Amino acid sequence: MLEFPGFLQIPLAEWIDAIMSWVLTNWAVFFDAVGDGILLVLLYIEKFLLWLPWAAVVLLVGLVAWRAMRSWLAGLLMAGFLVLIGSFGYWDFAMMTLAIIIAAVLISFVIGIPTGIIMARSDRVESIIKPVLDAMQTMPSFVYLIPALMLFGLGKVPAVFATVIYAAPPVIRLTDVGIRQVPQSVIEAATAVGSNSRQILFEIQLPLAIPSIMVGINQTTMMALAMVVIASMIGARGLGLEVLLAINRIDVGRGFEAGLSIVLLAIIIDRITNALATRQQKYAASTA
Amino acid sequence: MANGNESGKAEVSLEVSGLWKIFGKNAEKIIGSELEAASKEDILKKTGCVVAVRDVSFQVTRGEFFVIMGLSGSGKSTVIRLLLRLIEPTAGNIFIDGKDISGYTNKQLVDLRRHTTSMVFQNFGLLPHRNVIDNVAYALKIRGTAKTERYARARETIETVGLEGWENHFPSELSGGMQQRVGIARALAMDPEILLMDEPFSGLDPLIRREMQDELLDILEKVKKTIVFVTHDLDEALKLGGRIAIMRDGEIIQIGTPEEVIKAPGDAYVREFVQDASLAKVVTASSIMEKPKVLLYEWQGPKAAFQIIKDNMLDYAFLVTRAQKLLGLVPRRRLVELIRRKGISLKDALEPDLPTCTPDMVIEDLFPLATTTEYPIPVVNDNGKLLGEIDTRAILESMISESDTGAEETEGKEAKADA
Repeated sequence: MLEFPGFLQIPLAEWIDAIMSWVLTNWAVFFDAVGDGILLVLLYIEKFLLWLPWAAVVLLVGLVAWRAMRSWLAGLLMAGFLVLIGSFGYWDFAMMTLAIIIAAVLISFVIGIPTGIIMARSDRVESIIKPVLDAMQTMPSFVYLIPALMLFGLGKVPAVFATVIYAAPPVIRLTDVGIRQVPQSVIEAATAVGSNSRQILFEIQLPLAIPSIMVGINQTTMMALAMVVIASMIGARGLGLEVLLAINRIDVGRGFEAGLSIVLLAIIIDRITNALATRQQKYAASTA
Repeated sequence: MANGNESGKAEVSLEVSGLWKIFGKNAEKIIGSELEAASKEDILKKTGCVVAVRDVSFQVTRGEFFVIMGLSGSGKSTVIRLLLRLIEPTAGNIFIDGKDISGYTNKQLVDLRRHTTSMVFQNFGLLPHRNVIDNVAYALKIRGTAKTERYARARETIETVGLEGWENHFPSELSGGMQQRVGIARALAMDPEILLMDEPFSGLDPLIRREMQDELLDILEKVKKTIVFVTHDLDEALKLGGRIAIMRDGEIIQIGTPEEVIKAPGDAYVREFVQDASLAKVVTASSIMEKPKVLLYEWQGPKAAFQIIKDNMLDYAFLVTRAQKLLGLVPRRRLVELIRRKGISLKDALEPDLPTCTPDMVIEDLFPLATTTEYPIPVVNDNGKLLGEIDTRAILESMISESDTGAEETEGKEAKADA
């Protein structure tokens, strides 16, 4: 009597397994194609980043940071961080990690913006997608590794896939919020002069949602960076793998170097995207 | 089209008939049911629906300035939105240029909004991410006007509203009055046939508001438009409106000229509304002037003139040319003096510093004139032609509204008509 009754137990795990095996047998071609696509994009980005001379990357990051934050000190600091990563001997790993992040953010952007737009236009769609996004973000990120592994095998592609699932919600959410925040009076005025719904979206809603979308992209990037470390468990090479190896070998020094490199990379990406986002917001705030 | 315009004054630009707006579920079921006649509160209690506009009908003729006035919650802002179907009516028809737009498809509606109407909003409704000129040009861009043309047109209208030099500023950098100028410029840039204005000046402080009202009237002198203007401010309604519709609880209680509304309020509600309104602000010189009993012509001699004045038992007369152009006022006492001096020309007997007024001047502006003269004030048109005269007594009498003398008088009139 004290045990939970057996007849009330739901074999959810079995169902999920059944669904997965069904997907694997019937949708294999589809996922292969998607995987090839992701890989293609990723390889190009990675090759490009590794092809660039390190000095050029450092200079570029320094310049962008200087322009974005309007402070030459910030530019110098960001460039310095990057040099520090290289001095640990992690330049190539950092570039691989960066490639996965860029690919994941690009895909999140391409999927996230249209999804956010659809959510903003329909309360019903929003009420369906919102809990899904919540679940995507609260589910332990390791769990995504399993289906990613099954669908795409070992390597970088499942890493990107798992990263996208984990990192896409913020950009979707903030696109939705950004569009919904556009004052009704502005929409009404635009409607009154004869804008159709396409014009309202592209001329009014999206431009006014840009600050919010930028914040979404910043958050998505940060979450992608966090996920990349975990994704190294399924074979994504990069800084995450170094951390993983250090754990396996209980190599404190190496773990610290790799971990610090990830933190530095995070700071660089966060500061730059955040500066771009807040610059957009400043103008929006003055108009609110 | 051309023929329609020639038919002149009575051409209807906008017509609304049996317009209803009820917010809530199954609102359309209320219309036609026995609930239709129930009060707003009863309908809310029984169905949970809110009646915003109840069976509203009116016509606006081309070039008319039509004001819809009511307190907040009277449904006036809903009505003006229904006209463009920014809010969908629950029942009723809206005709613009004779075409029923209630059945228009989205595409037809967009077309109508782009070419025939434009609207000015209380909260301006400017695009915060566009500067002044792009805000004004936006409507033209939406319409598909070429870039150079729309900027030229935008510049032109910005000048009309007196904002030149501010083209590249953002709305957030402008004061409320200036923002509304942008709103008006945007509406005018489209050169619409019908201009809808939803409390455009309510958000501005009183001084700016008055200035904007005057400027609006100035602009409308130059570009004739049909206007539907919503306001909660009676003074504004009386000042601007050719006709005023007064709304309460979603219904139109009375439609009439400012003078009619003040002199004969449709019911107790309107009476209370207008009791503080000054007749002096709406009654015009033309409505109280009388035809002069006699006129003196410039070729007449003093003795003949004296005879005319004496025969009519007057102590003055106006001197005019053959074309009825006013030359001045000849008082009896100056005429007597002239005859004694053996003068010849009546022009030598004119009263100096004679005040005159135009037919559209309101009583308020006549008071100061009346204090400067002991004789009636002549009413002349722009060409100097004498149209009539106003006795100072008539000015005072005009201030007594029919409502002051009570309802008995109107009842008495009806009784007389019955008899």
